[in-house]
Amino acid sequence: MKALEGLIVVLAMSVPFIAIKSADMTTYIYWSLVSAVYLAYIAVSRW
Amino acid sequence: MLMLIALLVYALIGTAIAILAKKRVSSDEEYFVAGRNVGGIVAALTYAATTYSAFMMVGLVGLTYIYGVGALGFELYYLVGTLLLLSYYAPKIWKLGKERGFVTPGDLIADRYGKNAARILALLVSIALIPYTSIQFVGISFLLGNSMSFEAGVILSAVITALWALLGGFRSVAWTDAVFGIFMLSMALAAVISAFSMNPAPGDFSRLGELLYVPNSFWTPVTFISYTLPWFFFALTNPQVVQRIFVPKDEKSLRRMVVLFGLFGLIYTILVTLFGLQLRLLSEAGEFPNVTNRDLVTPTFLGLIPEWLGVLIALSIFAAAITTANSIVLTLSSMFTRDLLKSRSVLAGRLFVAAITAAVAVFAIQKPSYIVDLAVMSSTILLCQLPLILGVIHFKAGGSLSAGLTLLAGFSTAIALYYTKLTLGIPVSVWVLIVSFAVFFVAAILEKRFKT
Repeated sequence: MKALEGLIVVLAMSVPFIAIKSADMTTYIYWSLVSAVYLAYIAVSRW
Repeated sequence: MLMLIALLVYALIGTAIAILAKKRVSSDEEYFVAGRNVGGIVAALTYAATTYSAFMMVGLVGLTYIYGVGALGFELYYLVGTLLLLSYYAPKIWKLGKERGFVTPGDLIADRYGKNAARILALLVSIALIPYTSIQFVGISFLLGNSMSFEAGVILSAVITALWALLGGFRSVAWTDAVFGIFMLSMALAAVISAFSMNPAPGDFSRLGELLYVPNSFWTPVTFISYTLPWFFFALTNPQVVQRIFVPKDEKSLRRMVVLFGLFGLIYTILVTLFGLQLRLLSEAGEFPNVTNRDLVTPTFLGLIPEWLGVLIALSIFAAAITTANSIVLTLSSMFTRDLLKSRSVLAGRLFVAAITAAVAVFAIQKPSYIVDLAVMSSTILLCQLPLILGVIHFKAGGSLSAGLTLLAGFSTAIALYYTKLTLGIPVSVWVLIVSFAVFFVAAILEKRFKT
């Protein structure tokens, strides 16, 4: 289960390498949002 | 002059905090892990201030300025990796530590693999972390170049580092980390606001072109993995943060430590990289020099803003370096005292704090070329512990021989590949992980057969 979670996190963080190629702040905002959502998940659901 | 006054005030505040903490030192457990009685907020702030060194406001700003948004991805990969590992492993390690009285990361290793593995670990860790700590001193001494000589900067850094750790041990390091961690975050915010206010078009990021996406000419997948992989496992392989898992007073405090550290890291990373991008926008607009040496981006900015603000931001960088350095020195001292000497003496711990700090200062002043190599490699070298730490939780196989061979093989691989460059295009960190895990499992099988 945790391995799956790790895989999902790594894949989600890798999306800009595959799917985002725009010269604006999309990549920046995407990475920030994924990290924030994962932090919120850890804070609310993990313990 | 203003910088010297600021340094004096900083030193006085930190020393006052350390003296307050000193009253509570009564045993080595108290000295090295504050009696496992630290609240969640202080634990989070010391974890954050220990993790985030002067690299953030100097190295990461420069990396973002020169190579773009990939620097944010690299740092956030570290953050989500740490959250993943801490949220899963920290409760298990904390519980083991509390039940069995672990004080050092070596105790965790010795409990499973024997005392010799812990001894080897203490030596390898010092080879990786003493040069890394020296680089902190070198960096901030260059930053203070207008206020004092390089040697004076190193000596001042060493005195403050050793003094606070000597006085109150972990508690004084944690308390000073907490106060100056908040200061670091505040000054990063001030730097961003200042850079935005200098820019006539602060939102016009589109002119940065390929700096805003990955992969680009610098952030190729291989480069990105090379940067990211050693840091992804930082929470389990760097002893100064592993030791911090032992200190929260209860599980609620441990949870708070992890979540608040994550919040600190996310905000700090966003601020620092936004600062780097904003400075690059300023350069593109002709409002800021075009800096080619990434380590000079922040110092150049500090020379262009009002002196009082430049001094405060420089002081926050100095504080970031000291909070990292004294945490590492105290952890190394605990490993030398308990894992190498098998002593429980607080006096021995204090003597090691002084000796390790002196060694760090000597390295920093002499600046031999291999220091930079070892500092860059530190996280890669430390990856060789990963099979052992995961083994404590997951694997039944593996004993003293497997542990010793794994550490030596992983360490040798890191050094050999770094210098020979015979990596076949694969990052050194990947090789270290492959070799370490392979040696661990093969040796574990042989060890089991040999015993039966």
